[in-house]
Amino acid sequence: MTPMLELDGIESGYGETRVLGGVNATVDEGEVVALVGRNGVGKTTTLRTILGSVEPWAGTVTYRGEDITDLGDVETVQRGIGLVPEERRIFPGLTVTENLELASYGGSETENRRDLDWVFDTFENLDERRENRGSDLSGGEQQMLAIARALVSGADLLMLDEPTEGLAPMIVDRVMEVIEDVRDAGITVLLVEQNVRVALDLADRAYVLAHGEIVHEATPEELRADEETVERYLGVSFAD
Amino acid sequence: MVTGGTLLTQLLNGLSVGMVYVLLAAGLSIIFGVMDVINFAHGEFYALGAYLAVGIAAALSGVTGGFWIALVAAPLIVGVIGGLTERVTIRPLYGRNPLYHILLTFGLVLVIADGIEIIWGTQPKNFAPPALLSGPITIAGFQYSLYNYFVIAVGALIAAGTWLALTETRVGIIIRGGSQDRGMVRALGIDIDRYYTLVFAFGCVLAAFAGIVLGAKQEVALGMGNAIIIPAFVVVVLGGLGSFRGAVVGGLGIGIVQTLTQTYVPALTGVIVYLLMVGILLVKPQGLFGNPEWQNHGGEEGDLLTGGGGGILDTTTRRYLAAALVGVLALVPLGIGVTYSSYIPNSLVLNVLVWALFALSLDFVMGYAGLVSLGHVLFYGVGAYATVMMAMYVTPVFWVGLLAGVALALAVAWFVGYLSIRVSGVYFAMITLGFAQLAYNLVTKFDITGGSDGLYTGYDATYGLGIGEVGQVSLLGDIQLFYYVVLALVVGSYLVARQIMRAPFGSVLQAIRESEDRAEFLGYDTVEYKRRAFMVSGGLAGLAGGLATINSFGVGPSFLFWLKSGEVIVMTLLGGMGTLYGPMLGAGAFLGLKEILLTFGESTPGLLGEVLSQWQGILGLIFVVFVIYVPEGLVSLPETLQARFGAGGGGGGESATDATDAEVSD
Ligand SMILES: Nc1ncnc2c1ncn2[C@@H]1O[C@H](COP(=O)(O)OP(=O)(O)OP(=O)(O)O)[C@@H](O)[C@H]1O
Ligand SMILES: [Mg+2]
Repeated sequence: MTPMLELDGIESGYGETRVLGGVNATVDEGEVVALVGRNGVGKTTTLRTILGSVEPWAGTVTYRGEDITDLGDVETVQRGIGLVPEERRIFPGLTVTENLELASYGGSETENRRDLDWVFDTFENLDERRENRGSDLSGGEQQMLAIARALVSGADLLMLDEPTEGLAPMIVDRVMEVIEDVRDAGITVLLVEQNVRVALDLADRAYVLAHGEIVHEATPEELRADEETVERYLGVSFAD
Repeated sequence: MVTGGTLLTQLLNGLSVGMVYVLLAAGLSIIFGVMDVINFAHGEFYALGAYLAVGIAAALSGVTGGFWIALVAAPLIVGVIGGLTERVTIRPLYGRNPLYHILLTFGLVLVIADGIEIIWGTQPKNFAPPALLSGPITIAGFQYSLYNYFVIAVGALIAAGTWLALTETRVGIIIRGGSQDRGMVRALGIDIDRYYTLVFAFGCVLAAFAGIVLGAKQEVALGMGNAIIIPAFVVVVLGGLGSFRGAVVGGLGIGIVQTLTQTYVPALTGVIVYLLMVGILLVKPQGLFGNPEWQNHGGEEGDLLTGGGGGILDTTTRRYLAAALVGVLALVPLGIGVTYSSYIPNSLVLNVLVWALFALSLDFVMGYAGLVSLGHVLFYGVGAYATVMMAMYVTPVFWVGLLAGVALALAVAWFVGYLSIRVSGVYFAMITLGFAQLAYNLVTKFDITGGSDGLYTGYDATYGLGIGEVGQVSLLGDIQLFYYVVLALVVGSYLVARQIMRAPFGSVLQAIRESEDRAEFLGYDTVEYKRRAFMVSGGLAGLAGGLATINSFGVGPSFLFWLKSGEVIVMTLLGGMGTLYGPMLGAGAFLGLKEILLTFGESTPGLLGEVLSQWQGILGLIFVVFVIYVPEGLVSLPETLQARFGAGGGGGGESATDATDAEVSD
């Protein structure tokens, strides 16, 4: 089976600065794949390059058999790839409803496309805050809204960039539940996380990014057992 | 005495003026919010609307309802023109630093203003509202102008309609989302770029409408755009860039405050608006309803493109060229009477030198620290006024005057920098503009600054080298000492500026321009560095202003007019930012071209001559082309040309694109 998403030798960066020096990775339909690595190694850049808001210098991005390397962000999203960006980027001056309506005007007509009713049924806390502005929401609520927004735009492949960053432990658990629900609904997930525990709990497979390349690919179990890799590339330890 | 009746009249007057501001500011604000374009040309679209309406009404003079047809047709035509303008000129610039939009729309101001002048002439036009709307009307015993009621009602209707469109329609929500985070709208699979033309055209329609309703109340005259654009900006900035609510509250508020001030505190007329703006921005830098989070559009802001380091010439060649240029300049006065009259060196070249210094001072902050000072004329004007006042009230010795000018400009730069450098980008630009406009209005208020006439130093030979005198001392025939004084000061300033930029201080500044975060991360107090650079720059601009007063025997409010700020930005970019010498060459090119156009215009009969005499419009056009195609300026031209057509055989095509895309810094 061909993978849903395939990165082949992706090189990318900003101006003169090279960030990615040849990234190879695949995501299969229905999987949750984690991309982990230290601060500033280029995880966000990888997602941006897939999305097309950053143009790769070399390499190809293939989505469902189509070469989408040269597509811009708008077209990529219209193919069914959704992004929940770093720091959520809720529209601060739009209400919760308007944030979702805006998303419903874009994206792609996939089977996974959700409507506003579904969102308000599923996320009770958003239902209560329909008419509140984005800037009035708590961090957790914003994160839910950001995920809901991507689902409303019809993502088949959902890319999440550090969805648990800056959230209280209880909220982190709630976000993890939501991501599991998303996966159970048949949506494929590419998850970027600093929080390695979260990543390994959710993922079927994980890539470790360092020096602009994938230095390691493993199942969560293998990674947990491989203390050296984890220490060296992620700077955390499971020992304690 | 404030009676209920007059107060109500004043409030209604304020509301009717305020409605015009609301219409202007709403368009400006949405355009800025969605596209990051600070549209200086907005005032010209406003004027264009009024003139077109005059034209249409005149063509329909026999037809009943001519006014109404004009009121609808003219804004639509302006909307189409605006849409085309966006397509052709602004569209190529998206993704570049917003500074380029400022420069571009400034060029458009010159083009449209001169276009209006060519078509409609210099005489003000009367544009009377129809009989149906004229005369006063009495409601509940209170008599007031019917037309003003009309303006208030129609303005409110249009504002309400715009608001409904923004909140209730699909396009409206997309546009509001885009004005908060354009990148995120794209990341939801919506092609926001498609809406830009629509937004721009719509803003122009509102502006044109505003121009017509106000034009029918006052008159339709040249310069009406120039006069309204800065207050309109104040409204936008006060209300919060990109906020529709802010535009409405700010517009009505400013209209009322302005009118009440005129009646009850006439001394503050013209000043109050800028005081308010500066005051509010200092307390709430994002304006009343602006959201601080909106300032970041997802880090997709383009870089400032600086000129190449002399391109194909090596350092030694460049040094020889520079020395040769200074040598030629030193010899220019010797040609008096032989090849040209004393006008060339003593007026034209002198003027170029002064502006070169002014442009150098702007480059110091804009090209190196990335601080876009839209009100740089403030320092030029303050230096000019201080120089003249020192000479008139204290001692006429010219260099004491100049020193006073530099000192005061430094002090003002310190003050403005202290207050405003911590706010970023666009707001900084606007605050500097606000301060400059404040000074412009202030000097007209006081006798000590000569009111709106300014101060005239005249000729005073009692003291050695007094201010009036230094401009008159002849070394030989018409060869004047002052020419050499200016040449020495300008060359000296350049050398000092270059030395500063080569010192560690300069490297830090450039690091800040490239990435402020990184510079901060490296442990530099970036705000402090920028403030110091701003002071140096202010001092140099003050010196330029001081020298200019000697050249013109005095000073007037025009030394502080905002168009001068625009012109010096034009010169800086034209020559090539971030090179120090580029902007100086830009000043020469700008003023030289102006001179050529004027000379040809005068000697060419007929329409062509008339068109050529509109030098500002032609320069504006050249400038628009420059911003789009040669953003690195004149100094990069040889390099760009060589890259495009050069002999470099294999891979030529590739290197051509590289050269245009690369941000080359010295
Ligand atoms: N817009 C940009 N312009 C220039 N450099 C950038 C830009 N965005 C990121 N970088 C740089 O690229 C490198 C990789 O950044 P990226 O955001 O992809 O890392 P990351 O792995 O997502 O880090 P984090 O864990 O902090 O989110 C960093 O060194 C960063 O400074
Ligand atoms: Mg990141």
